Amino acid sequence: MSLWVDKYRPTSLGKLDFHKEQATQLKNLVQCGDFPHLLVYGPSGAGKKTRIMGLLRELYGVGVEKLRIEHQTIVAPSKKKIEINTIASNYHLEVNPSDAGNQDRVVIQELIKTVAQSQQIQSSTQREFKVVLLTEVDRLTKDAQHALRRTMEKYMATCRLILCSNSTSRVIGPIRSRCLAIRVPLPSTEEVCSVLTSVCKKEGLLLPPELAKRISEKSGRNLRKALLMCEACRVHQYPFSVDQEVPETDWEVYLRETANAVVSQQSPQRLLEVRARLYELLTHCIPPEIIMKGLVRELLNNCDGQLKTEVSHMAAHYEHRLQLGNKAIYHLEAFTAKFMAMYKKFMEDGLDDMMF
Amino acid sequence: MQAFLKGSAVQSVRAQKDKTSSSSSAGAERKTRAVPWVEKYRPKCVDEVAFQEEVVAVLKKSLDGADLPNLLFYGPPGTGKTSTILAAARELYGPQLFRQRVLELNASDERGIQVVREKVKNFAQLTVAGSRPDGKPCPPFKIIILDEADSMTAPAQAALRRTMEKESRTTRFCLICNYISRIIEPLTSRCSKFRFKPLANQIQEERLLSICEKEELKYSRESISALVQVSEGDLRKAITLLQSAARLSMDREITETSVIEIAGVVPPKTIDKLLQVCFRGTFEKLEVVIRELVDDGYAATQILTQLHDAIVEGHLSDKQKSAITEKMAVVGKCLLDGADEYLQLLSLCSLIMHQSNN
Amino acid sequence: MNKLSVRGKAAASRANDWVNSSFSDLVGESCSLPGQTKGLFQKPELKKARKRKVEDYHISSLLNEVVQRDLDEPWVDRYSPSSQDELAVHKKKIEEVENWMNTHSCSSKGGVLLLTGPSGCGKTATVRVLSEELGFRIQEWVNPTNTEPFSMRSQEEWKTNSMFSRPQQAQFQDFLLRANKYSCLRMRGEDGVTDKKLILVEDMPNQFYRQSSSLHDNLRLFMRTSRCPLVFIVSDSLSGDRSSRLLFPKEIQEELDITCISFNPVAPTTMMKVLTRISTQEAGKSCTKTVIPDKKVLEMLCSGSSGDIRSAINSLQFSSLPDTQSLENDLWRMQKDKPLVSKGKAFSKTNQRKKKSKNKKDEEEEQAIGGKDASLFLFRALGKILHCKRGNPDDFEGDDVSTVPVLSTHLSHHHRETLLVNPELVVERSHMSGEFFNLYLHQNYLDFFSEVEDVDRASEYLSDADLFTSNWTHRSIMEDYSSSVATRGLLHSNSQQVSVGFRPLHKPNWLLINKKHRENCLSAQSLFRNFCLTPVSLQTELLPYLAKLTNPMRNQAQITFIQDVGQMRERNYYSRTKLEALTDKEPGQLENEGEEEDKMVKEEDQGGSEEGLPASQPQPTTSQALLEEEELNIEEYDSD
Repeated sequence: MSLWVDKYRPTSLGKLDFHKEQATQLKNLVQCGDFPHLLVYGPSGAGKKTRIMGLLRELYGVGVEKLRIEHQTIVAPSKKKIEINTIASNYHLEVNPSDAGNQDRVVIQELIKTVAQSQQIQSSTQREFKVVLLTEVDRLTKDAQHALRRTMEKYMATCRLILCSNSTSRVIGPIRSRCLAIRVPLPSTEEVCSVLTSVCKKEGLLLPPELAKRISEKSGRNLRKALLMCEACRVHQYPFSVDQEVPETDWEVYLRETANAVVSQQSPQRLLEVRARLYELLTHCIPPEIIMKGLVRELLNNCDGQLKTEVSHMAAHYEHRLQLGNKAIYHLEAFTAKFMAMYKKFMEDGLDDMMF
Repeated sequence: MQAFLKGSAVQSVRAQKDKTSSSSSAGAERKTRAVPWVEKYRPKCVDEVAFQEEVVAVLKKSLDGADLPNLLFYGPPGTGKTSTILAAARELYGPQLFRQRVLELNASDERGIQVVREKVKNFAQLTVAGSRPDGKPCPPFKIIILDEADSMTAPAQAALRRTMEKESRTTRFCLICNYISRIIEPLTSRCSKFRFKPLANQIQEERLLSICEKEELKYSRESISALVQVSEGDLRKAITLLQSAARLSMDREITETSVIEIAGVVPPKTIDKLLQVCFRGTFEKLEVVIRELVDDGYAATQILTQLHDAIVEGHLSDKQKSAITEKMAVVGKCLLDGADEYLQLLSLCSLIMHQSNN
Repeated sequence: MNKLSVRGKAAASRANDWVNSSFSDLVGESCSLPGQTKGLFQKPELKKARKRKVEDYHISSLLNEVVQRDLDEPWVDRYSPSSQDELAVHKKKIEEVENWMNTHSCSSKGGVLLLTGPSGCGKTATVRVLSEELGFRIQEWVNPTNTEPFSMRSQEEWKTNSMFSRPQQAQFQDFLLRANKYSCLRMRGEDGVTDKKLILVEDMPNQFYRQSSSLHDNLRLFMRTSRCPLVFIVSDSLSGDRSSRLLFPKEIQEELDITCISFNPVAPTTMMKVLTRISTQEAGKSCTKTVIPDKKVLEMLCSGSSGDIRSAINSLQFSSLPDTQSLENDLWRMQKDKPLVSKGKAFSKTNQRKKKSKNKKDEEEEQAIGGKDASLFLFRALGKILHCKRGNPDDFEGDDVSTVPVLSTHLSHHHRETLLVNPELVVERSHMSGEFFNLYLHQNYLDFFSEVEDVDRASEYLSDADLFTSNWTHRSIMEDYSSSVATRGLLHSNSQQVSVGFRPLHKPNWLLINKKHRENCLSAQSLFRNFCLTPVSLQTELLPYLAKLTNPMRNQAQITFIQDVGQMRERNYYSRTKLEALTDKEPGQLENEGEEEDKMVKEEDQGGSEEGLPASQPQPTTSQALLEEEELNIEEYDSD
């Protein structure tokens, strides 16, 4: 028994539930025979991966679905061994180069080279090229991106790249201009609702439309999250009721409590407690930038007017530092302290105004 | 993608589906068409080069037998720098000699100091005759094209200057770069410099239309002007986009929305909406709008550039504009460093809101 | 023991050169020496005598033979204490050691004594003096150097034998047992010597530092058969070296009944006494070549050596050489300048001010020639920054107000009194990298602040400091600035300056948390690889929800991981992040761990995160079966 997310994942372009126009365009692209490099971008949970897999199936047939996980060792010019996991079929190879940290350049070059040089086993597939799917391209180092543009040209004859990323902001221009960019937006709330309903129907469950709406709103249009939420709802309570609680992840609840703690009292001692809570979140594998974003969202809900502007400036400022710096805690804490100071001043000013 | 669903004719969705499923077997016959249009429609001779009169004049003179100086072409991408020199070389040498006489190296090739020393030198040292095999006269020198020269390291550039002088009897260099400031002074002083201007909209449009005709595309007038708009004087970009749009829409008309979509540009309407919220809305509304923008997958850098244009041309006072653009610079840098797009945009837009309300 | 003699010879030949080169100096002075009366013509004999001496020194196990005192001998050796009175160690400590030696010499069963303390506080001297007085023969272990020629071993052997460690270790064991069993041969009729014996180990085979358990095994073996006392001498050092604790952990001390006596640095008064004694003795030797430093110099040396008597005597010898005297004076003058200036000012100031200028002088002098860096214990170093001692505004009463620049009114809230500490100096003396010092500060600073506004500023400075060191290529340059910003920022932002009294300090949690974060992320990715998700969505979406689902598909490792990481129960959150208190006088211990992390970071930066999967999770090789299972799963979902 697999998760609903996987179980009801559409397997071909034709079966996709939303952005159908785009699906048709992709089909057109496949039929052109000549296939450019692709850059597929969009937020997490929009179905980029599903779309790409559908595209690959359109290209090669069901063969691409025979996946195997491979553990590859690549020797860098410095004689250093880099181990990386790839997911491959006979026609394509998927790799997350950011797994290799700063050696990503070598990994990409080597992998593409081997793929490009190995002969296509079945000539009946009519495609003279294989596909290398790189995920999280926006986390590639600049070095690797520059190397990539050369590699892209060099092996164009036997190998196509599909790059998958959350945003194109961090992808360098030369790569963007060499690829056909395909934007995959998140599904609208209604689309999420309809997907949820159809999945529940396939499961033989009855999902009240109100609940579906609430789930899709709470998921922030993230389809993966919505499906997981829905399944968690099912575990939590069935038959569904209209006003049943939509389970949130523990860390989100915890983060909200943390934000409330910040708002309710501003003192060095409280900051110390907040720090302990931040540490706790970090040990639970929550990336610091996600913590920062969540914290900002919750804090913004708790303050109003002029303060919001200031908080948003501060958030942007410290989130940027978080990306640059070494030790996330300094910046998370500095942001919290800043907020505390601002909030305290705001409240005191408010009190003063009331007095006079 | 919403834009797509709204903009283009909904009627064709089903029909399209049927067609594609039937024609999937027919895909094989079109295998030969692999040449990118950028290559296909590259100017074949110097006369075809669009919009760069000075260079064309100099090159034509050398075609008529005058000596050719070392060249340095600079200017924004897609203005025809590489095309010009390639076309000129082709005309000078004819198809047979072209391969022997021209060495093209671009940034992706290994181009450290070692390569400059060996490859370039070896190539430069061969002397050549002053006539073609077919008897026509041709200049007694070879051309070395260093594309994207601004990405060469300074030592490599330094190594080049001596070579350049020593081999001046047999070889001409053509350096091509986007930013002349990244070429070391001694090199620039040894070359005659030509700046390539961004192509005028009119000329771009003409080119695109001629390609459309040759490829027998269906297009709308607006889509072509949209192409010109988004490509900002970069003809290569415009042609590539055109080809992509043609591929994606197959036999149907290329629409403005599809062009905008492929270019990754945020629809102007969306930017307008964002600005309206900035000027008149509340912070809560702003949060929602930005959330939507990010959820729709628009790149923050793109939003930033478009916002920039809108603000600079907008109705705000100079002081407000300067405050906002300063913040934009900061945001741009942060985005490059990998900061979160939502937070950065929120910060920027709340500043715009703050400024415009004062 | 054959190695020892080899070493002895080497030492002898070295001594030879020494004698030759400085022989001309001997002319005038040798007459005053008790053993040698002939001057110039004695060269050969002298050589021989030395050679014999050196050999004796080793072979006859360090008996009290240091009768011949050469002029070239370092003063440390020449004036090494010969009786308890001369020892510069506290009477109580000597007594303790004496008692132990007495009790353990009588009983047939030998014990183990561990002497710790900073270097140069007289540990070895105490043992030597006491054993002489009590009639012990000292048998000392000296690390043998390897004498086997390299070429004899093939490449493979090198690897399998893991270098010399094995033989060295084995030799140590042999030595212990043999020294224990056999009494020394009586040579040359040394009748006065009893056969009471004492084994002294100062020099540990290196392997033990890496693998202290083998030392413990040796000791257990020794204890079973021991007949004579065994003394270990381990020096503490400030720079995070915790060898004594590493080699002799508490459990072992208890198990083997090891007595531990720790020495303190030599007290300044005692040191002063010794230095004066030496200088007067030296002065008595009517030789013109040495210039006897005056009392001031002695005081300076005394404070500069921070309780290390060996270094103090060495510096004394050095500073009394005629050539250095002038140099010394120069140095002196430079240093004197400042105190003089402040003295001039001090007339108009209150007493306290004077004291301060004296403090300053002291500080200056500590860096005097030959002096040892006065190190600060981390606890004190942190305290200096966190407690933020500032001058008293009243001190300036007598001062001309106009000379002190005053901040304009809009900046007046930035006004602070003069600092009493120099932050950069504090960091330098803590013997820690700035980065780790910052971590310590960050861990502890909140306790010392009372206002959120101050905390806000302080945390921003810390954030700045981290930003400075973010780029590893510049890190080495920027590190100093970074620590400077952090320390000064903290000092400045603590505007309230309330005295908070004693606060316990803690070790930074961050390293642990960070390690855990990384480990968890890695294992999450390897355990749930078949979901083909990016790390972020895996960790923030899939895992937390998996924890909420009852999905039977997982294997045991996955289930435990989900329960551990995916869920955040409202339990006692602080249990995981228990604080480790930093005790007084504890040197910066994180250094090792820190370096490791640093290295790792650097590796990553250079492009080489080669860090294997952490041990706490199934290794890829062992999870082969799991992989196959995953493959099956994927096919299952595909065929749908």
